Amino acid sequence: MFTELNSILNASPDSFTQGEFILVSDRQSDASFLIHHFLSFYLRARCRVCFLGLVQSFCHYNAVGQRLGVSLTQAKEKGQLIFLEGLKESLSILIPHENNTEHQAMNFLRDPAVGLRSLYEFVRSGLTGSGSSEEGAEEWGPPVLLVDDLSVLLSLGVGTGAVLDFSHYCRATACSQLQGNMVMLVRCNGDEEEDGDEGSEWLLKGLSHQCSLALHVQGLPTGYCKDIHGQVEVCWRMRQGDGQHTQKKLFQYKVHDKGASFFARGTSSAVL
Amino acid sequence: MLTELLQGIEAGGFLVIQDSCSYSGRHLLKSFINAALNRAEVVHVLGFDVSEEELKDGLRTSDTQRLHIHSAYTDPLGWTERPAFTVHQFRLEDLTDLVKQTPHPKPATLIIDSLSWILRHVTPPAVCKTLHQLRKGGAVRAVIGLLHADMHQRGTVGSVCHLATSLIAVAPGAKGDEAVAKITKRSKFRKVMQDEEIFSLNGDFTVTIHSKRSNPEQNWNDAEEEQVDPTAELTFNLRLSDSELEAKKKLMLPFVFSKEKKKALLHSGPGSGRILYEPDANDDYDQEDPDDDLDV
Repeated sequence: MFTELNSILNASPDSFTQGEFILVSDRQSDASFLIHHFLSFYLRARCRVCFLGLVQSFCHYNAVGQRLGVSLTQAKEKGQLIFLEGLKESLSILIPHENNTEHQAMNFLRDPAVGLRSLYEFVRSGLTGSGSSEEGAEEWGPPVLLVDDLSVLLSLGVGTGAVLDFSHYCRATACSQLQGNMVMLVRCNGDEEEDGDEGSEWLLKGLSHQCSLALHVQGLPTGYCKDIHGQVEVCWRMRQGDGQHTQKKLFQYKVHDKGASFFARGTSSAVL
Repeated sequence: MLTELLQGIEAGGFLVIQDSCSYSGRHLLKSFINAALNRAEVVHVLGFDVSEEELKDGLRTSDTQRLHIHSAYTDPLGWTERPAFTVHQFRLEDLTDLVKQTPHPKPATLIIDSLSWILRHVTPPAVCKTLHQLRKGGAVRAVIGLLHADMHQRGTVGSVCHLATSLIAVAPGAKGDEAVAKITKRSKFRKVMQDEEIFSLNGDFTVTIHSKRSNPEQNWNDAEEEQVDPTAELTFNLRLSDSELEAKKKLMLPFVFSKEKKKALLHSGPGSGRILYEPDANDDYDQEDPDDDLDV
């Protein structure tokens, strides 16, 4: 969990806005450090977390999580974390064994045209959890869905419309019905020229319309710098009440071994 | 023109509010809903994009008799057992049934939030046909739809907007809570009026118009006239007197070729060096001047 980002977003594990859809995106950069932040943030906030880790193994997230002070193995054992390891599940779909009950969540790998309805069913069961809890099971906070990342679904052949439908249904369940939060990562190449309805750029636009908070990570426009790894544009889409405008702020960041620091443009410690 | 539109859409009218990621048109849509409720009209809202609570937030919900929200947000594709309203029910028969469910003497105004959701699942020709039939049908008095213009191909946006009698394209303005609205209105007699206004929305979704930019060319001319003279207010002199101007015009630039200069360069005068060349046995000596055909 990055303390500076918490103060920028005005959130802490004890108090954060519920019912939010946070869209993390990057263009020719790597915003996965923000996923690790939100994962450790919500685990610390004692929320029930459903994590669709489609691009990395569980050990990877666990290793990074330990550097940030949370243990994913413990959270999984206690039932706080429901983890879908996409890489492992995809193998069981592609190479089925007789005694291996298929996890229906990833069955879009067989037939991408089917869409992501089974993945949504998995998410819904993960978020609502088992109705009858065993004795001694702990009470967790509002449910949170984390997805890393959505663009890989496009590479696997799922249509952009199907991904937008999936995120719509997840938002309806997680944010509106259960008053939890949702964090999704979308990655763009930046070199796609489209006036159309396919591709990660279009997916990003569609999700931007749905989200309430957008964090867009990019490299510095002036080029590579050793001390500043890039810039983050934070965009609050205010939905109600006073001031219907969207508020945008730009920060620069540097990723360390055990965290990341955020600062206003031009105030990096290397420069001052 | 925005105020006129807010005061009422003519019967059989179809208003499209176009927005993009950078500025959401939903708040303006709510202004229209509030304005319709204030005029004691019956309003039916088809909600796909956002939840019912979020739609109701800020609306005059005291008139629950006249405002009917049909939320297709929780299950627009029928993935659960009992969906309230699915996107595939966007057809004339189903919509007419929906509107007639709540009997009112006056025909209703139908609000669609958003057309983009429907266009993703129903083909544009079918959507256009349904919208056209709705306008002519009579069950619905007027239709107002929100369209996310950056979510579709230009052709799709163009087709849907072609059906519209009025079109408002909103974009973020220069200042924080201001927005720019480009309004196109087609009257019955095929006359097209266009206008551009800067507006902002108050807390109760009423609209404040700040200024009308009815003549964008005027602004451009003003900017030209206001150009500052760079030679004014300097500590050194950049201007030329008349004699200096004359001298400047007479000055010959070093690499501009005039006839005299060419002759002098190409035909060497007396006293300058001459080149004596004795061809070798292996040389291919051509007596002709290879540069003869050049027009130098």
